[in-house]
Amino acid sequence: MNLFEFCYGIIHWLVDLVNNLWYRLGDVLPWYFGDFFTGVGDFAASDSHLSFMTILLESIIIILVALINVLNFLWIFRKISGRILDFYGPYYVGYRIGGWLQNLADGIKLFLKEIIVPTKADKLGFFLAPIIFVGSSLLILSVIPLSENFGLSTNSSGEYVPAGALFALAAFSIAPFAILLAGWSSNNKYTLIGGMRSAAQMMSYEIPLILCAASVFLLAGSFNFVDIVDAQRDIWFFVPMFIGFVVFLVCLIAEVEIVPFDLPEAEAELVEGWTTEYGGMRFGLFYMTTAIRSYAGGALATALFLGGWQGPSLIPDEIWFLIKAYIVYTVFMWLTWSVPRIRIDQMLGLGWRRLLPLAVLNLLIAAVLKTGGWF
Amino acid sequence: MVAGGRPRKRGSLGFVLKPMKRTGSQLVRTLILGKPNTVLYPEQKLDLPQVYRGKHVLDFKKCIGCGNCVTICPNDCMWLEKIDDPELGKIERPGVDLGRCLFCGFCAEVCPTVALHMTTEFELANDKRDELKLGPKDIRDDAFGSTFTEERQKRLVPVLDLSKCNGCEKCAGECPEICIAMMPIEKTDAKKPEINLSKCSSKGICAEVCPEKALTMTEVYESYFEMPEPKLMLDKCSGCGACARKCPSEAIYMYEMPGTEKTLKGGKKGKPKKRAVFVLEKCVGCGRCYQTCRFDAISMSGVER
Repeated sequence: MNLFEFCYGIIHWLVDLVNNLWYRLGDVLPWYFGDFFTGVGDFAASDSHLSFMTILLESIIIILVALINVLNFLWIFRKISGRILDFYGPYYVGYRIGGWLQNLADGIKLFLKEIIVPTKADKLGFFLAPIIFVGSSLLILSVIPLSENFGLSTNSSGEYVPAGALFALAAFSIAPFAILLAGWSSNNKYTLIGGMRSAAQMMSYEIPLILCAASVFLLAGSFNFVDIVDAQRDIWFFVPMFIGFVVFLVCLIAEVEIVPFDLPEAEAELVEGWTTEYGGMRFGLFYMTTAIRSYAGGALATALFLGGWQGPSLIPDEIWFLIKAYIVYTVFMWLTWSVPRIRIDQMLGLGWRRLLPLAVLNLLIAAVLKTGGWF
Repeated sequence: MVAGGRPRKRGSLGFVLKPMKRTGSQLVRTLILGKPNTVLYPEQKLDLPQVYRGKHVLDFKKCIGCGNCVTICPNDCMWLEKIDDPELGKIERPGVDLGRCLFCGFCAEVCPTVALHMTTEFELANDKRDELKLGPKDIRDDAFGSTFTEERQKRLVPVLDLSKCNGCEKCAGECPEICIAMMPIEKTDAKKPEINLSKCSSKGICAEVCPEKALTMTEVYESYFEMPEPKLMLDKCSGCGACARKCPSEAIYMYEMPGTEKTLKGGKKGKPKKRAVFVLEKCVGCGRCYQTCRFDAISMSGVER
């Protein structure tokens, strides 16, 4: 049973339950009202309504799973940063589970804070930017399946979004626009510089990222996550395309904007960059969204290069996928706390002069492998 | 950058992999093999060194109430309090206002009898200002001094009890370093051994030889501070003895001056005038005598009245 069938069953059961009421009302009430309730019941039982509600329920489940993972990711982030810098990290809140509840406590604290909008800010842009940023980041997660049976699909056969990987990469690159919007509308020089840096970073790192993904699509012959993972049954793609894997990881860090590439929100130079004017839960959402994007990045790297949910069947497929994503995220964190932030003048040079040729080389390797008939 | 020399070549991977190796070993050390260096404060506490300057502790039995700590305190946060102790009688002991204390430790360093210590206790916060003022009874701990060895230098020196001395000059004769000289006290018959402590080798021969046991070998802590010494202006001294009564270290003795008796009406002679004699080995330099003297007969530089 896949997620669609599961959700369809729940929705069907609910609609049956409620339709009893509608139809009975339609029988009891006089014709004018009765017709209306019968119509409501008919609409609720129609295929389009059922599938729409099913997809809604699916996306809610997927987002819930993602948010629970995000709590884990924030915990890993704080714990690893603490241990690498030789202190404990979160400890007392949730003592038995290693301080896991600290993020919830911080979230509650952020909820209680006042949301301040600068007087001279562009109100609409200031309001829209967090929505676009958080929404686009959740959109990435919607198309990434955790296994063959756990993903957002539109029919019971379990076919996921046909060009899921492309869609995920496209949703990934919406965020810089939201950042630019936030930077412009905050009416502050630091936020503006942060937004501009984000745009420049996207310019230089999106292309190697897409090229590395393109070499994977070339080998797998499909844009679909399920097909890509199926193509890695014999050998995971990071073995033949190790260069591409490394370039992909570096570009992902730049996309996610964590430390070696967190130029848009450089604390030392730009006082948190484009998030300077955002306070309270809006800042909390940005903080959470960075973890969501890290999770999405780890999931993309897992699905494209690390064999997705492939693994010994001792552990369920979904857990395999999550374990791999967690390992990728841990490596991200390890790198984050090891290296300093690169300078703004090194950023474009690294992107265009080092990563882009390597990505092209990787595409060449993929083309040779494909024409040679090994894949 | 340091000038000169060829810049060390390091590839772009050296900027990434070398730090990652370093942090990775740190991560293994703190996460898997052991625990971080951080001390979980309310549960665990650091082992503070003995010389840490925390809360004050006063040994009531050693303290002589000289008030040197009060005088030297740069923040003026100590005061002397008169208390009635069942054991020690009427005494004066210092108290500390922790709200103004800067924990410089001068009071503990200047204490001539090492009665005042600073402990390693540092949790002194309080939500009421009044409770930060610790009186002498709050900081009393007579047993604390024996729990550790004092860092200050101390030496064995002969200390003179002038009331027992009969001026026999045996100590001056036996002293191997020839650092004791019998000096006549001005306008009196008596003589007083003046001991040059910088030459003294602490052998204790003078104390053994003394027939009256006026000299005793005592351990004296050396002060880090140069304390002022009192000087007597003999023509002004009325011989009232107030300074001798006030002196916390009992370093002032009253001596009669023969030949100063007033002739009373019946041809009788009255009692002779007295003068004060200072034994500077005992003096702690507190300036009490200077403050007490109503005739300005004692001069002491550097002490406020």
